[in-house]
Amino acid sequence: MKKLTRVMCVEDDPDIRLLIEMSLAIVGQLDVLCCASGSQALASVTAFAPELVLLDVMMPGLSGPETLCALRQLPAMQGVPVVFMTAKAMPAEVEQLLLHGATGLIVKPFDPMTLARDLQPFWEHGRGSS
Amino acid sequence: MVSDSAASLATLRALVLAAGYMANTAASASAALAHVQAQEPDLVLLDLRSPELDSCELTRRLRLLHEDHLLQVIVVGATHDDEQVIHALRSGADDYLARPLSATLLAAKLHHSAGRQRLQSRLARLAQRQLDIIDNIADAVITLDVNGHVEDMNAMAHALFDTRPTSHHALPWSGGDCLSLLGLPLAELLSRRECQLRRADGSWLSVDISCQEWRELSGMFYTLVLRDLTEKRANEQRQNEFLATVSHELRTPLTSVLGSLGLLAGGAAGRLPAAAMQLAAVAQRNGKRLSRLIDDLLDITKIRSDQFVQHQREQAVGPLLQEALLASQAYAGSLGVQLEAEGVEAHGGTELRLDADRFLQVMANLLSNAIKHSPAGEVVKLRLAVTSAVLRVSVIDRGPGIEPAFRSQLFNQFSKNEAGDLGGQPSSGLGLYISRLLVERMGGQIDADPVAEPPSHGASFTVTLPLAFQPTMNRSAA
Repeated sequence: MKKLTRVMCVEDDPDIRLLIEMSLAIVGQLDVLCCASGSQALASVTAFAPELVLLDVMMPGLSGPETLCALRQLPAMQGVPVVFMTAKAMPAEVEQLLLHGATGLIVKPFDPMTLARDLQPFWEHGRGSS
Repeated sequence: MVSDSAASLATLRALVLAAGYMANTAASASAALAHVQAQEPDLVLLDLRSPELDSCELTRRLRLLHEDHLLQVIVVGATHDDEQVIHALRSGADDYLARPLSATLLAAKLHHSAGRQRLQSRLARLAQRQLDIIDNIADAVITLDVNGHVEDMNAMAHALFDTRPTSHHALPWSGGDCLSLLGLPLAELLSRRECQLRRADGSWLSVDISCQEWRELSGMFYTLVLRDLTEKRANEQRQNEFLATVSHELRTPLTSVLGSLGLLAGGAAGRLPAAAMQLAAVAQRNGKRLSRLIDDLLDITKIRSDQFVQHQREQAVGPLLQEALLASQAYAGSLGVQLEAEGVEAHGGTELRLDADRFLQVMANLLSNAIKHSPAGEVVKLRLAVTSAVLRVSVIDRGPGIEPAFRSQLFNQFSKNEAGDLGGQPSSGLGLYISRLLVERMGGQIDADPVAEPPSHGASFTVTLPLAFQPTMNRSAA
């Protein structure tokens, strides 16, 4: 079975950004591009061509859902699964995010040793539906 | 005193003054009316012998002058003639005095009348005080009769619901029924605790309704107290936003801490020496405990808030219990504890209205507690019993039991029994408290008992839930 290889992560908190990068690159052996903001992600997403985007919900500037909307405008990004990361995870919020077109949700605190594995089903699900 | 005869007036006046009262005289109907209007006397002595005065008509008009003030009228007649007395009383007089006037009888009547007057003003003061109290209540208070007609309402009810531009709260409201005033028929108002009512300005108001029904000679009445929930709703909204923020702010640094520890312990930054691994494990375990504590605190706040929503539906309890057992299987296995079901097959088909997720949360908590406190090789039993009215689920362990001194606080916040906390999953001390909140929200109760069966140690936690009310046969037939 084909495995997920290229992930873009958008996270404003530098510590968590580093953790995600190490978790995905070192533990998960993935190609990772980490962006500090939604606009930075939009600027580099086409060149990087990720297979999945991991997106923080609460960010200054463009929020997670706003970034998702903007990403979906790009032709190359229409079928790419987008997984949100949130520390709030109120049921109403989860529902709202899925309505916005998110593929799935990872709850913070996450397990860095399994993060890459946890993303795999979302990627498969995303590929299956596109 | 009213008479068109100056001599009569003088005689009467002398007698009244002699009895110790103040007196004023009027020689005509118009003078009498003007005087009563201005002075509000307590008593009018009306001379029947005055040909210029229509005593009946004058009595009626005098009475109209002061609605709230009790004015007593005693007519003074020519003789003690029954016909005349009856006529005077029928015309609205309170009493009759015959000539020749007896000074002592007049004094006695005046004395009696003064007593009535005192009683009357005391009643009036009490009535006014009650009106003032009701009007000063910050909730709308509305009294309806059995047909929903508005009997009266307080100042707040007028302010909120009365559409008339200038309404005076002292007057009874005669605008109609609760449907026109509040937009809801009586039956609807009586059956609800919270609802939306239409305000005078057309906007809608969320209110909490409490209803008191009472009886008077003329029938049954309902007094509704309507409490404006706007402020409360706004508070809840603020609280929710605060919670979401707190949750985010607490979990973000914790994510970094636990993430770093996870990577360190997982060897992502190189293999750690054994002692460092041990330290990382301690830090990780306590970080997870902190994380669970935050989850539990947020959960408690959610459950305790009035907006807590349960997704209840009618369902069989058996499959839920099987699921709970299955979910705890791995934890039990890791501690060498066996799980056993009793009565689940026999009574598992029993249906009741439940929020499945929340019920599973309670069961998971009770099972993990029981497993944690059981020595390896022991059995944790889940027992289902059903009576005609309730369903009982017990989780029974063979652990050290509950210290009697600790039993009363078992379901309180942070009531962790340190002595009984033997390793295993770190607990926040909030699990049983959350379970209690949830079970109570489901309309049931939770109890802890020492195990009575030999060997007599262990603890038994029992959730008792009322069985769904079976309506009528018609419904199942339909």
